[in-house]
Amino acid sequence: MALLDVQHLTQFFGGLRAVSDFNIQLEHGEIVGLIGPNGAGKTTVFNVLTGVYTPTKGTIVFDGQNIVGKKTYQITQAGIARTFQNIRLFSQSSVIDNIKIAYHFRMSYGNTDAFLHTRKYWQGEQLVDDYAIDLLRLFHLEGHAEDVSGSLPYGAQRRLEIARALATKPRLLILDEPAAGMNPAEADELMEMIHWLRDKFDLTILLIEHQMRVVMGVCERIKVMDFGETICEGVPEYIRNDPRVCEAYLGKGA
Amino acid sequence: MTFFRTHRTAVTVIAFVLTYVVVKLLSVLPLVNGGPLLNGYYIQLIALAGINIVMTVSLGMVNGFTGQFSIGHAGFMAVGAYTSAMITTVWLHTSVTNPWVGYPVFILAILAGGLLAAAAGYLVGTPSLRLKGDYLAIVTLSANELIRTVIRVTNALGGPRGLGGIPKFTNLEVVFVFTIVSVVLMRNYLFSSHGRSMKAVRDSEIAAEATGINTTKQKVFVFVFSAFFAGVSGGVFAHLLQFIHPDNFSFVKSLEYLIYLYVGGSTSISGAIVGPAVFTVLPELMRALQQWRMVIYPLILVLTMIFRTEGIMGAREFRFILIPQRQRKEVSA
Repeated sequence: MALLDVQHLTQFFGGLRAVSDFNIQLEHGEIVGLIGPNGAGKTTVFNVLTGVYTPTKGTIVFDGQNIVGKKTYQITQAGIARTFQNIRLFSQSSVIDNIKIAYHFRMSYGNTDAFLHTRKYWQGEQLVDDYAIDLLRLFHLEGHAEDVSGSLPYGAQRRLEIARALATKPRLLILDEPAAGMNPAEADELMEMIHWLRDKFDLTILLIEHQMRVVMGVCERIKVMDFGETICEGVPEYIRNDPRVCEAYLGKGA
Repeated sequence: MTFFRTHRTAVTVIAFVLTYVVVKLLSVLPLVNGGPLLNGYYIQLIALAGINIVMTVSLGMVNGFTGQFSIGHAGFMAVGAYTSAMITTVWLHTSVTNPWVGYPVFILAILAGGLLAAAAGYLVGTPSLRLKGDYLAIVTLSANELIRTVIRVTNALGGPRGLGGIPKFTNLEVVFVFTIVSVVLMRNYLFSSHGRSMKAVRDSEIAAEATGINTTKQKVFVFVFSAFFAGVSGGVFAHLLQFIHPDNFSFVKSLEYLIYLYVGGSTSISGAIVGPAVFTVLPELMRALQQWRMVIYPLILVLTMIFRTEGIMGAREFRFILIPQRQRKEVSA
């Protein structure tokens, strides 16, 4: 059974049809790309998947349970984590606290333990500190653990955002333009990292990306959207040579 | 000196006890013209500073650390003040002459005041904190005035005449214990996973939701316990002044706490201690300036905000506020 099964997803904003009849099935361990020109509805699909919007029509089944109408935090707790197109870190918190915040819903102690700093609090804090520092090491951020996250260089902020998403222990990771603002060398590193993430954390990955080199290099399957419609779907070689895709990006007769 | 580093909690406790002993001695020993240096007036001022500290720290939990804008904190103080005063004065007629009965009743009464204020906080916070934006400011302002007006027109609460004859249960000891316990509890909460979630809500509500935090629940809980501490402060306040009036708890009073908070530093507990401590005592010390007092005092406020925009403390904390960090084991790569 597919890990994520989206059927007939349609999203209206007033009279505007942002996404129409969108279907996608993700199998466990796949890396799938979602591309299309600006305004095609890719980010809307992401926002619907993560509960920011409730879809006008359609079903979203994740791991056997229907997640339509659930709140964003419930969907995250169910196992879908995401990053943002424009990085959204907790910029005034330290790097390690960014990771610890993502672990909050798994913390075993409650409000009373927090007020009184009971034994349960200290145990929980020790556990989360070990967990967070181990995760930071994997992303080579342990040296910045106590720095304010807003002061990190751009590339490190991107890595931290991915690390934070992973701290929720997701099964599906959604990346919104992970290579935005990266130079070719950084993008190469990112491609390597996406493969490594999938294997290391046993993930399924869905990503939006504009840099074709990254999309073609990393995705096993690509879906192309234009004006809310899915216009093409297939392996990278197929997408590359499809006239409809060329037309969507470059216009008719290009 | 290593003792200071290894036994931070002990050092802090000793420092607090010493402060208390010094203040107590200065208020008892006949040092100046056969009277104590700190007379009843100064003791009352210190007590007010303690109450204002708890009010400001609890307001900072909502405004500074969770990033919501509440501007009606005095309303919750009123709920606590009137509830506890009604219990001790009108219904149970307790007095200070029998402390063994009086103090248990007093403690239960201020806790009841806190709980009722928390309930009011829940009613105010639940609808307005669901929304993102500045709705909370409008709603808390209205709630503040609503509470004041309701008290004003309710004869059973003394109405516009106020409520007097309240036994003076609040003394130096009560204020010390109350202030320290309240600040420690809120400090503990802030330095926990829940406290980190508060800051996450402040920095990016969307990202906080996306990392699995129920932001509405977190915001409402902080707002409710903040109202609780305001309510308890109100109870302690009522039993210090022995007379309360609805106009004591107007929007102007709320504004005072906002000033203490932002001048002290809204994103630091230390700032929420320094702000009210300094600006409760300062205007009184300036009484000698007579009519110039209300020129100098605002001038000091304005200059503070110009030269220290983030407040006196900014985001920094005193050492004794922070939780000692454990040493992480180094792993060689």
